[in-house]
Amino acid sequence: MSAYLARRVAYAVLTFFGITIVTFTLIHSVPGDPVTFYIGKSGTHGVPPAILQAIRHEYHLDEPLIAQYGWWLKGIFTLDFGPSVIDHRPAMDRILEKLPNTFALNFIAFALAALAGIPIGLWSASRSGHLFERGSSIVFFLLYSLPSFWVALLLMQFFAVRHAWLPLFGMTSDDYLLMSTTGRIADRIRHMILPSLALTYAQLAFYARFTKSALTEVIHQDFITTARAKGVSGPAVLWRHAFRNALLPLVTLLGLTIPYLLSGSVIIETMFQWDGVGNLYLQSLLSRDYPTVLALTVVTAVVTLFASVLSDVLYAIADPRVRVEGKR
Amino acid sequence: MKLQESGSWRDIWRRFRRSTIAMIALVYVVVVAFIALFAPLIANTKPLIMRTASGIRFPSAGDFFGAKEGIEQVPQGDVVLRAPIPHSPNDVDILQRLKKPTHEHRFGTDDVGRDVLARLVHGARVSLTVALLAAVIALLVGSFFGAIAGFYGGWVDWIVSRLIEIVLCFPFLFLVLGIVALFRPSVYTIVIALGVTTWTDAARYVRGEIMRIRELDFAQAARASGARDVRIIFRHLLPNAMAPALVSANFSVATAILTESALSFLGIGVPLPAPTWGGILSIAELYIDYAWWLALYPGIAIFTTVAAFNVVGDRFREALDPRG
Repeated sequence: MSAYLARRVAYAVLTFFGITIVTFTLIHSVPGDPVTFYIGKSGTHGVPPAILQAIRHEYHLDEPLIAQYGWWLKGIFTLDFGPSVIDHRPAMDRILEKLPNTFALNFIAFALAALAGIPIGLWSASRSGHLFERGSSIVFFLLYSLPSFWVALLLMQFFAVRHAWLPLFGMTSDDYLLMSTTGRIADRIRHMILPSLALTYAQLAFYARFTKSALTEVIHQDFITTARAKGVSGPAVLWRHAFRNALLPLVTLLGLTIPYLLSGSVIIETMFQWDGVGNLYLQSLLSRDYPTVLALTVVTAVVTLFASVLSDVLYAIADPRVRVEGKR
Repeated sequence: MKLQESGSWRDIWRRFRRSTIAMIALVYVVVVAFIALFAPLIANTKPLIMRTASGIRFPSAGDFFGAKEGIEQVPQGDVVLRAPIPHSPNDVDILQRLKKPTHEHRFGTDDVGRDVLARLVHGARVSLTVALLAAVIALLVGSFFGAIAGFYGGWVDWIVSRLIEIVLCFPFLFLVLGIVALFRPSVYTIVIALGVTTWTDAARYVRGEIMRIRELDFAQAARASGARDVRIIFRHLLPNAMAPALVSANFSVATAILTESALSFLGIGVPLPAPTWGGILSIAELYIDYAWWLALYPGIAIFTTVAAFNVVGDRFREALDPRG
């Protein structure tokens, strides 16, 4: 076990350096003077040379490439990505204050999707060969193919514009500060419904499909046939033998889910003017606030890496076959 | 060898054909591709065929490889045949802005009076061009890395696996948006951004398949006859590992269409005035309280096209591996 753990962590460290190299290369492959990267403008004309020189010095652009990479690594380790071009506050602070908003929205979407998607997947796999099972895989694909911004647009049109049942966008109403505590909670929940629905449906299809294929695979294994041959009843085989093994691979989804959720957040948070990191990423890109863009890119990639190592380790603890197979 | 190969493709096709839904999806994909290819002849203000003093002319044929900028002179004469949709995608008519669907504009008009149906037809061209090019890049890059990883194993496989892990750590849309915005939005940057972020699936499929077939008799035979590695990989193994890679290409196209329209929707897509499905939806968001037709039709276009590619890919995969 400890050997497996050590190897997995060693790989992760290498992947981490890969991430820093990819992001560093990305900055330095942008056409034009890299100093424009940090002053939030497309060109250097109109900026006095002395100031340009000062900025170059501040961001270490006057040093050799390898030294610049060293500074970049140091920045990542100390979580110091420099001040935002927009308000000169540290980019990291701006991210940290938006993170809870994104987390709240995504947690609800994740919980809804997992709670509905996993049982649907299990159920459709247990009815293998039935019309329902054949039809369900198509339905998952249709859900999967719906563009989230279109679904969000239709939800807004129906629930907020035509019927005014729910707010169109934002996180709170204009008179939020005048409300009572219970009123505030209700107001926040009302603002969450549409964006979290728009984030949920595609994930739901994803979990249902993943669970279904995991269970289908387990059902075809020998020990299930053995259980059947022993005379264990159909439902008991499914519940007692197959399900537990089928749910194991779901642990590995933990790491894969985070980048997926954040991708979805960019569109949905922007549309609903939700004050989270997805919205921040797009606004920073549009206003050429590259310190914030880079900080977000690196931080999310590292968090994803951490989550995927964690889920692999959990998987290895739960399923000894993994760590034995890994040794070969 | 050749005989066996064609036989297996025939088997795949026979199993694929059994699924009604797969065939419907395939026909739909062909129809959309046809619309994209012939868009300038389907939606164009200029007539298809005219009879002029100097003989028969085909005014819209010149737009086939991209319309020319500026006002063009349509020759004087009698119109013999109009385009099925007699509007060009960039014909601005401010008096006709935000009109509901009518006989003249069957899917309505947008905020500057352009015909939505004409923009949808030409938008198919933009979407499919971007998606197919992106899928080709993903397929080439993915096949290359997958093939060498599967063939050599060991440290080559290890490096490719780390490379895939690195790409998968980044939120897909962050990376695509970042690359496109940094290098200025255009068809090429979008294609490259999509290509370098989606090749991992093809690599995984090809890697697995190459590992499976590299010890088979025909590969051994090639090795015994003294073929070099490059030749074994690219002439013998890769062509036989192409079927699973093509499955992933179908999914790549679907993802690329979704992402391209999302980029256009966010305003970082193929630059204006190119007609894009996501671009129409971004106008729909501005007039959400009124112009339902701007939201409905482009959404259906994206959804049905993406779904068709996904279903074809899924059933193709099932046809390849009847057990799974």
